[in-house]
Amino acid sequence: MNVNETRLQKLKKLKKLKKLKKHLPALTITLGILALWNLVCTFGHVNAYVLPPPQKVWKTFLKMASSGELLSGIGISLLRVFRGFSIAFALAFGLACVRLFWPKSEACYGFLVRFFRNVPPLSMIPLLILWCGIGETTKTVIIVLASFFPMYLSIVKGFTGCDRQLLEVARSFAYSRFRTFFRVVLPSAVPDILVGMRTSLGYSWRSIIGAEMVAASTGLGHLILFAQQMSRTDKVIIGIFAIGLIGCLCDLALGLLIRRLAGDVSKNGWD
Amino acid sequence: MNGIEIRGLKKSYPSEDGRLSVLDGLDLDLEEGAVTVVLGKSGCGKTTLLRLIGGLEEADGGNIRFCGCTESERDAFSAGRHLEKGSPPAFKTAYVFQEPRLMPWLNVRDNIAFGLKRKERRKDDISAVIRAVGLSGFEKAYPSQLSGGMQQRVALGRALAYKPSFIMMDEPFAALDYFTRESMQRELLRIRAETGASILFVTHSLDEALILADKIVLLSGGRAAAEYPVSLPHPRNPLEDSLAGLRHSILNALGEAVSSRISGAAPKADALNISSKRPVYGLLYARERIYTRERI
Repeated sequence: MNVNETRLQKLKKLKKLKKLKKHLPALTITLGILALWNLVCTFGHVNAYVLPPPQKVWKTFLKMASSGELLSGIGISLLRVFRGFSIAFALAFGLACVRLFWPKSEACYGFLVRFFRNVPPLSMIPLLILWCGIGETTKTVIIVLASFFPMYLSIVKGFTGCDRQLLEVARSFAYSRFRTFFRVVLPSAVPDILVGMRTSLGYSWRSIIGAEMVAASTGLGHLILFAQQMSRTDKVIIGIFAIGLIGCLCDLALGLLIRRLAGDVSKNGWD
Repeated sequence: MNGIEIRGLKKSYPSEDGRLSVLDGLDLDLEEGAVTVVLGKSGCGKTTLLRLIGGLEEADGGNIRFCGCTESERDAFSAGRHLEKGSPPAFKTAYVFQEPRLMPWLNVRDNIAFGLKRKERRKDDISAVIRAVGLSGFEKAYPSQLSGGMQQRVALGRALAYKPSFIMMDEPFAALDYFTRESMQRELLRIRAETGASILFVTHSLDEALILADKIVLLSGGRAAAEYPVSLPHPRNPLEDSLAGLRHSILNALGEAVSSRISGAAPKADALNISSKRPVYGLLYARERIYTRERI
């Protein structure tokens, strides 16, 4: 092994250490919580029904993972979120386009948007069950209601906040309204649209779990509620962990997409 | 005429005291293939004139005729609406703003091709423009990665790639350093000679006007207060003897306005009159004197 290879290996090790250092605080806190949890269960005389020990939760997790119970719950909830989120995005984008091209039309629907923005979607569940039953439609509508508004507001902000100087450049080149939208307004609104999508995705997850706990026989929300009814606190904890982790992963994926499409905001000054 | 004919152009903006008139019946002829430089102090209406010609604002009155057609007909030409599919627009205008105004999400190549439709984009043509504005090797760079001078060159390239018959330039080199400004002026003259495009150029600098102009127009009181044709060949040194007479006559025209400012007296009514050819031009005079001293 020559000197260069040794140096290269040292550098690689340093890089790995740096990466580890970056995640060290989060790792320490997580391990600390786990240790505390274990201590409380071992010496705290806490009933295993109220707080099952981590070892038991881990065993249950392995069982649920191997039987497919957990994966099917995650899959169904993900599918619902994807469906509702897509519909909400299409509606928000369409209405924001209407707002951009016909600003006066806002007088017709502005009040309704403000009204429903302040109504929690879960409060609509009784009515939605009456109107749509306990099938998939109710859950989809709840996700749409939860994720539409943050996305709509962000897209409108992106569209209407487009730099007037750039619009004048398009005009000086005799751009049509259609061409201006696709070549100037839309690209300049991408960061706002993606931030709105990221916020809405979190809202979708919160609402779907709520909806599944009230009106569903499948999904992660139902898994948690059913476990509670069966006095299986360990399964409840696994359900909560699954929701948190899936939410984090979705957020991470969208974050990567934002970085890919919008670039590093601080670097290219596109803020 | 085969240029741009402006008659009785009026524009005012709302102000605290009612309306502030910026252009008040401006008459001006911009000859085809010529560089017309508009000089004037801040707020005299130079940018407004350019914005009206460029169709970025509506005039309150008057008429602008492009190559014998009206402004609305020009817009139709530019958009290619009157032509059969595939035919090139007959009359195209491009605007180079004071700021580069580049699209931050597009790289240099795409910014330069911004004015072109997809079918009009030819790789070789765009590469030629990039070479002409001295940005070879920076094709993939984003605006935030370029200096102010380079960004302004991209803006100039964007206008040139559009192959316009008429280019409006609103103090495009104002923010550039001395050396970049000089090289950009040379580049502009070279491109004009190659393409034969008409140029309307707004500046504060008398030296810049003397270097570039085929005609210098002094704008004051909302009108073209004086016009000075410059027939010397390019390249020009603004301090050369043959331009001294012209420099003096422009500075003399400004001098009276300066002295009226210093004495605190209001400018005489005839100083703003087109027929008297005596414009109010204090700021420019002061600036140019300092600039000339530095250069000497």
